[in-house]
Amino acid sequence: MAAEEHAIDALGQFKLTTALGPLGASVNFTQSNLMMLISGLLILGLMYFGARPQAVVPGRLQALAEMAYEGIRKMCIDQIGDEGKAFFPFVFTLFMFVLIGNLLGLLPFSFTYTSHIAVTLSLAMTVIVLVTVVALRIHGLHFFSYFFPAGAPKLLAPIIIPVEIISYLSRPVSLSIRLFANMVAGHVMFEVFASFILMMAASHALGSFGVVGAVGPMVLNVLLMGFELLVAFLQAYVFAILTCIYLHDAVHLH
Amino acid sequence: MRPIGLLAAAVMSGLSSAALAAEESKGMPQLDFGNVLTKSQVVWLALIFFVLYLLLSKWALPKVGTVLEKRASTIAGDLQAAQTAKTAADAAVAELTAKTRAAQSGAQAEIAGAVEAAKAAATAQAATLNARLDAQLAEAEQRIAAARAAAMGALRQVAGETAAVVVTRLTGVHASQPSVDAAVGAALAARGLA
Amino acid sequence: MSEEQGQKGSFEERLSSARRRQGLEGAADGSTKSGAADNSSLGVGLRVGVELVSAIVVAVAIGWSLDTWLHTKPLLLIVFVLLGGAAGVANIWRLVGPKPPKK
Repeated sequence: MAAEEHAIDALGQFKLTTALGPLGASVNFTQSNLMMLISGLLILGLMYFGARPQAVVPGRLQALAEMAYEGIRKMCIDQIGDEGKAFFPFVFTLFMFVLIGNLLGLLPFSFTYTSHIAVTLSLAMTVIVLVTVVALRIHGLHFFSYFFPAGAPKLLAPIIIPVEIISYLSRPVSLSIRLFANMVAGHVMFEVFASFILMMAASHALGSFGVVGAVGPMVLNVLLMGFELLVAFLQAYVFAILTCIYLHDAVHLH
Repeated sequence: MRPIGLLAAAVMSGLSSAALAAEESKGMPQLDFGNVLTKSQVVWLALIFFVLYLLLSKWALPKVGTVLEKRASTIAGDLQAAQTAKTAADAAVAELTAKTRAAQSGAQAEIAGAVEAAKAAATAQAATLNARLDAQLAEAEQRIAAARAAAMGALRQVAGETAAVVVTRLTGVHASQPSVDAAVGAALAARGLA
Repeated sequence: MSEEQGQKGSFEERLSSARRRQGLEGAADGSTKSGAADNSSLGVGLRVGVELVSAIVVAVAIGWSLDTWLHTKPLLLIVFVLLGGAAGVANIWRLVGPKPPKK
């Protein structure tokens, strides 16, 4: 928490440090990677313990695991078509990784790896590379017709082609910026409101009124927590569904 | 929920621009690409994500898929069994109905047969009775006719003798037997008694 | 008898609806396509901004690196910012414009 008055260190929470002691430091294993590891284990645990009872009438954990499985599978098939089944494990991994990362980031003292542009951009680049490879494999060189819509006047080609290429390349950027910006904004706001609480409560000028006034930012933070939970789901969902839409384009090439 | 969300979004956009402005002075740790940790983070991310993908796609997801498939097949099997049982029950009901109907019509036929037989028996009895009565009647009539014929024969004799006596007495002439008989026969015939 | 008939009918209905849910009998309606990514006005609003910004970011990156490579600063940067703006508008048009009918 920012201790100094009038100086809110809203960005310090995103600073990377090494985790797991000297061993982690020796391989530059950051706390961000530790959270990735934890969320990966959580996802695997959910799937493992969710599938283990094999009950016909599922318990809570099993229902959760199956809801995730069926929901994402349905999303893949709805958005991509029958070919979507092949991409289901990838979309599932992506969705769960982003979702659990967002949610874990909301816990106190944790770290939100989805608030790092390097992470979100890497994920988005993975998506776009996969999309391009899939499109090339299915359609071969015909894929490049994607950058010049049929029926457009040939004269405009020098403009349309760069625009389409930029538009295509902007996909991973928009995908990563959206997730990154949402996560950063939420956590900056948490930090700012939390700092307000401390400032008001500790303020000499406001005295005991400050303590009462500190309830305001406190309430805001509680409301924000609810909103951020929604955002965590929404952003993971948007990330996954845009991946599906891009895959649809790659498979069907419009 | 909605107004809160919009409010929060408005606040968020304002604050994020403030945060981006602050970044100029202090620097956002996320954009510090000179930091070795920013790069190593991505390397570890690639490793963790890849391993997670492999484990999920080869091991965890098929497990959940099997459970779901098993459930689907169990439910399908149960529903199939229910369908079969229902079909069997429907068939049994149909059979029962048919049997009941057959039994009913059999009973009806039997009753009709019995009534018919009884009627026939009664008719036969009545016929024999009638025949006996007719025979008795005919016999009685014969007897009456015989008695009458006998009586008529006697009457003719009496009438002939009486006529001969009366003729003898009145005329003194002894009437011959054949002429008297002829006269009597004619008289009787005239009266319609012969 | 009529009461029994009613019960049998309801059982039949329940059985066939259960079978339809399970996909054993032909469903009455086709599979419902949910193409709603996030169509709330807030979601679309946020996406519009992000699409525009990211197209310009990409364009600036390309223009700047081409300039550095070809020593043509700032000519290509200007060209690519214009193209990036167009690409951003194209992105937004794809987002909110009339959708081609999905197969």
